[in-house]
Amino acid sequence: MILEEAIGFLKKNPPFQLLDEPVLKDVAHNLSMEFYPKDTVILKQDGPPSEAVRTIKKGSVKILMKAEGGTDSIIDYRGEGDSFGFVSLIAGDKQKTTVIAADDTICYTLGRDKVLKLIESRPAFAEYFMSHLTRYVERTFEEMKGRSLAYSGTDRLLFTTPSGDIAKEVITVPEDTTLQEAAQVMAKHRISSLIVLNRNNVPAGIITDRDLRRVVASARNVTDPVKNIMSISLIRVDANDSCFDAVLKMIKYNIHHMIVIKEGELKGIITNHDLMLLQGTSPLSFVNDIEKQQTIEDLVTVSAKMNTIIGLLLQESTKASSITGIITEINDRLLKKVIEIAERKFGQPPVPYCFIVYGSEGRKEQTFKTDQDNAIIYADTPSAEAEEEAEKYFSALAGFIKDSLIQIGFSSCRADYMASNPKWRKPLKRWKEYFENWISRPTPEAVLKSLIFFDMRPVHGKFSLCNELGSFYMPLIAKNKIFLGQMANIIVKNSPPIGFLKSFVVEKSGEHKNEFDLKLKGVMPLNDIIRLFALESGIKLTATLDRIGALKITHPAVKEYHNELMHAFEFIMMLRMHYQYEQIKEGRSPENFINPDKLSNLEKRTIREAFHLISKLQGTVVEMYKPLIV
Amino acid sequence: MLAGFFSRKDDTAPLAIGEAEYTVIDTELTGLDLKKDSIVSIGAVRMKGARIDIGASFYQLIHPSSGMDHKNILIHGITPSEVEQKPAIDAVLDELSAFCGDSVIVGHFVSLDINFINKELKRTGRKNMKNAAVDTCKIYEWIKSNEGPFSRHYTARRDELDLFSIAREYSISFNEGHNALSDAFITAQLFQRFLSSLPGSGVKSIRDLLKIGKA
Repeated sequence: MILEEAIGFLKKNPPFQLLDEPVLKDVAHNLSMEFYPKDTVILKQDGPPSEAVRTIKKGSVKILMKAEGGTDSIIDYRGEGDSFGFVSLIAGDKQKTTVIAADDTICYTLGRDKVLKLIESRPAFAEYFMSHLTRYVERTFEEMKGRSLAYSGTDRLLFTTPSGDIAKEVITVPEDTTLQEAAQVMAKHRISSLIVLNRNNVPAGIITDRDLRRVVASARNVTDPVKNIMSISLIRVDANDSCFDAVLKMIKYNIHHMIVIKEGELKGIITNHDLMLLQGTSPLSFVNDIEKQQTIEDLVTVSAKMNTIIGLLLQESTKASSITGIITEINDRLLKKVIEIAERKFGQPPVPYCFIVYGSEGRKEQTFKTDQDNAIIYADTPSAEAEEEAEKYFSALAGFIKDSLIQIGFSSCRADYMASNPKWRKPLKRWKEYFENWISRPTPEAVLKSLIFFDMRPVHGKFSLCNELGSFYMPLIAKNKIFLGQMANIIVKNSPPIGFLKSFVVEKSGEHKNEFDLKLKGVMPLNDIIRLFALESGIKLTATLDRIGALKITHPAVKEYHNELMHAFEFIMMLRMHYQYEQIKEGRSPENFINPDKLSNLEKRTIREAFHLISKLQGTVVEMYKPLIV
Repeated sequence: MLAGFFSRKDDTAPLAIGEAEYTVIDTELTGLDLKKDSIVSIGAVRMKGARIDIGASFYQLIHPSSGMDHKNILIHGITPSEVEQKPAIDAVLDELSAFCGDSVIVGHFVSLDINFINKELKRTGRKNMKNAAVDTCKIYEWIKSNEGPFSRHYTARRDELDLFSIAREYSISFNEGHNALSDAFITAQLFQRFLSSLPGSGVKSIRDLLKIGKA
């Protein structure tokens, strides 16, 4: 039981948790346990090198370094699960710091020989001590994934399955095969689709049961060649991509068959049916469900499954962006469906319009159901009367959409950023005035309020209205450094919650005592910094990861850190989703506060790295906008 | 390392308590009567100085030579059926003495454990344990009486001297179990704390330690 306790401890703490079970056991056998009363000097600067790596089981130590003047100053604190003594053990020369027990402290100690052996045989173990954000993110994900699997049932989604594994062999026909022959081939093989090859034997299209039904319905000549009716847009997925990716594409392009390519060759085909067989509740069948609904009431029933879907996705995916991608697709579908129902109710609009979303929805970064952030841009009207008429129509439409979305579970926006608010339901020329105002007269308050609009994205209607607005304001920004300066001010004021000596800064009292706000302190600063860089560079993309991708070539700061940035962002989003999902499972409404004590040591480390990155970038922002920072 | 320990009397540099080797031991018994009762399990942990060796522990359930009564089954949680298939103590004694080597034996009220072990050694025609032995309870009482001018008058009530109460006082975390090995581990952690404070009170060598805590 002494050994089991030690193994249990090692499993929870880096770098040991990176080792596999037999190695862990062997390590545990070689551990000893030491006790240091408070104030014991464990290692002494300039003294002999550490002869062991010590991992704190209970208590904490402070690490001191002698400054020029000869006085010791504390440079770090280490707490439970943290290790020390590694560097001087490896270097083998003098101890570089003094380590003193800050409390009564118990350590597990692993001797030098054993440590050296581990470093040789397990690169991950050594890697740990060269700690770097990107190296740990994936492992942390694995850990989180493991945790949510632990409380899930047995209904494992097989989303980690490569799509090549479930691809069915395909039957191909040349492009001049007649429709009748094609139907015969399909009947013979009992399949629902055929791949059509062009003269060069390259897949050129697909015909499916659906297409043949259309042929019969329109009484087409069955001697026509298949190339006349085949669907040309062949969406492909690589055999190594997960079924998850396949589902995402199917949802996106609204298709039911997809070609699987392996090393450039046609490997097979997968259908949504195959994917649904993989698991009971698929996002794909969920989207199909949405499509079938005709009333708001039915949508309410269908969307109740949403959180379960996200829960399943969380268990299977290692990337937050894949999950938010699917959530965005689903939410967009729901929204479009609601708008369709609304249009049927109120009739066709008097002028073309575009229904836009912004904020997290605009950035495609929604997690669990969030607030509504939407607006309507409608085409400019020839007269004041016409505008009045349009306003009347859109008022009714937007009111209905808002109420319907609330019923479905998208709560009303507290700051009233919704199309139902007359302020956010305007003809294009008014929208241009808004943006011109925000950009050329940037009071701190106005900039803060306008930020989320710079993440806007069209969802329904005439997209060109939204695009025209974007093309209007982008050049204005380039001319107004002060506007960007105000954004910079907002960014640098939101400092990450890491205090002096690496501790987390948490709420001192109230409902969230000892917690910090992961959205405010983690997601928002990254969003804000990347938005600033994107607007500087005239990039119109809205999703933070897309913006980072576009900026990595041109923007010096992003160029340097883009990998870390992507990982940090993915990590924070993932952490947030996992916590929210746990809260939902416990029957609470999801929120953004996290108690750092409840994080595993690996999570703590990774988030600390992410916060360091944020503060580094804030430093860059300060440098760039120095004269404008107040 | 401690071979011929008792002959060290005249050595000029007595072995420091931080360098000696220890075996911290605990037994569970069928009862407290040395004549009637016998050992049900033995647990032991090795220490090198103040370091507890996580990989080196000893635990053996034993088929007792006497009957087990209900009251004690409730304390140690070992049932007769559990030990039925276990070796008799004869088979365990040699393994135990190899584990202890010539280290200093440490235990809480350890005389009791040693008396039972010696009884079995004698019964099976072996020699008594020769190891030096210290009692963590005695060390505790000495520390208490040495703490300040008033603590001289300190007399603990018997019920405050049990292992768990003292462990709690030193904030050692444990699951109250009465398992010989986990109790030995708790005792080792307690002894570890004593070892860190004793040199400051002038107890530096094994000889000093035996003066205050000899079992």
